[in-house]
Amino acid sequence: MIEVQNLMVFFENALALNDFSMKIEDGEIVGVIGSNSAGKTTLMNTLSGLIIDMRVKEKRKGGERITVYGKILYRGEDISGMSPSDRVRKGIVLSRERHPVFPESSVLENLKIAGYLRKQSEIREGIEYAYRLFPALVALKRRKAGFLSGGEQQMLAIGMSLVVRPKLLLLDEPLLGLSPMLQKMLVDAICRLKDEFGTTVLVTEQFARPVLPIIDRGYVIENGMLTLTGTGRELMDNPEIKAAYFGI
Amino acid sequence: MLLGTIVYAIINSVILIMMSIGFNLTFGISGISNFAYGALYIFSAFSTYMLLQMVGLPYPVAALVSIVLTAAIGALMYRFILMRVRGQVLSEVIATFGIGLAILEFFRYLGFVGVEYALPVFIDDSFMIGEVYVDAQRLIIVASSVVLVGLLWLFVHYTSVGLAFRGIAQDERTALTFGMDSDWIATLSVSLGAALAAIAATVIIPLGTISVSQGYDVLINALAVSIIGGLGSTGGVIVASLVVGFAQRFTDTYIGSHWTMIVSLAAILLVLVIKPSGLYGKQKELEERI
Repeated sequence: MIEVQNLMVFFENALALNDFSMKIEDGEIVGVIGSNSAGKTTLMNTLSGLIIDMRVKEKRKGGERITVYGKILYRGEDISGMSPSDRVRKGIVLSRERHPVFPESSVLENLKIAGYLRKQSEIREGIEYAYRLFPALVALKRRKAGFLSGGEQQMLAIGMSLVVRPKLLLLDEPLLGLSPMLQKMLVDAICRLKDEFGTTVLVTEQFARPVLPIIDRGYVIENGMLTLTGTGRELMDNPEIKAAYFGI
Repeated sequence: MLLGTIVYAIINSVILIMMSIGFNLTFGISGISNFAYGALYIFSAFSTYMLLQMVGLPYPVAALVSIVLTAAIGALMYRFILMRVRGQVLSEVIATFGIGLAILEFFRYLGFVGVEYALPVFIDDSFMIGEVYVDAQRLIIVASSVVLVGLLWLFVHYTSVGLAFRGIAQDERTALTFGMDSDWIATLSVSLGAALAAIAATVIIPLGTISVSQGYDVLINALAVSIIGGLGSTGGVIVASLVVGFAQRFTDTYIGSHWTMIVSLAAILLVLVIKPSGLYGKQKELEERI
């Protein structure tokens, strides 16, 4: 579905992603695992095209110089230079890290704002989807998003991405700062996304434990470089992963 | 006397709302302070005047064309000038202020100075409210402002572009992930702000004459009200307009008209000292500290 070839991203002279290649097939759940500053968010921003917008804005301000090398192929088409909005139109939707919601709008309004590119009827349907996946949101729909708990905000953030009808959903650290119980609930939701809506999912995570069991394949990155790749099972059985991420 | 002051204070407040809502809206959505706002207001007035007197269009058509023209100038201003300096607040202010100066002083250069430059009132009539004599134009201003604020509210809550405005205003980068284009939305926001300046000019200018110096007054009023209310907050604009509007009229009646300007400036200073983000402003500093 999407293929990343030899991606390199520089912020000024600092290398955030170094010669990174990956492939995601239709209907897969793929994980990218790495510690802080490993380059996970940079990867997500590059895939979603946000980095292009960042580059333009930094340039206007005369700020940091951002350079991207390498290719991103989406269904065979090179989308490396495509704007974020065109990528959303193609079905690549990013849910940013730290549960991004619009704090002053109500839950319902957040979902409506997310449907910017969709028709009224599609938005209504999308909101239904979001409520079906996260029934907890129904009771909160009039509440301002800024007043929700972290877990509720994360549900809303994923719900918002659903309204856009993603074909490829990029989830950037969806489990960050959540309790183990909520983590489990979200992981189940990610599985249901794939089973019920046929969405392909790329998820990044610092902690391998909750996501490794559900991913089809995983990539482990350190300092912007790919160190290990394999199926979820293989990664779980890998002694290095066990030592680094499970503490065994 | 008191009733008269109150009625005129309300009208004064409504005029302030009309004058500042566009400035505030543009800032609220895209963070651009459009210092050419007063110039756009005067541009629209002169353009209506010219279309009316020199081209001979009917009044409503002339007014409508001016509003569209002013909105277009706003959009072009963003596309060709502001977009290049976006994100550098000082450059934005200098650029827009420069454009404003150029527009206003160009009219002065062309010789548009004098009392003959005026727009006709919509309906030449007057009414009594209690014992207070109010002309029809002022009532039209109040009515159109109520309609305008209502329409704006519906627009930002129920249309996809309006919702996008709210999204971009709250968190630009997240809004981008839903396919919004920040430059397009910013273009629309500057353009809509300019259109609101033009609408304000259309209904307010018939009260007096068109003069270049008014452009600066409108800008100062818009700034004052927006700073007091909290930049970017529409509710704040309404409350601040009422505060300033009433303060101005009451000072005018009971203390002396030469104190009027001091009252609004003192109000700005007071607000800046006590609550720098304005009455309804977002406490960004506080959030960051936490």
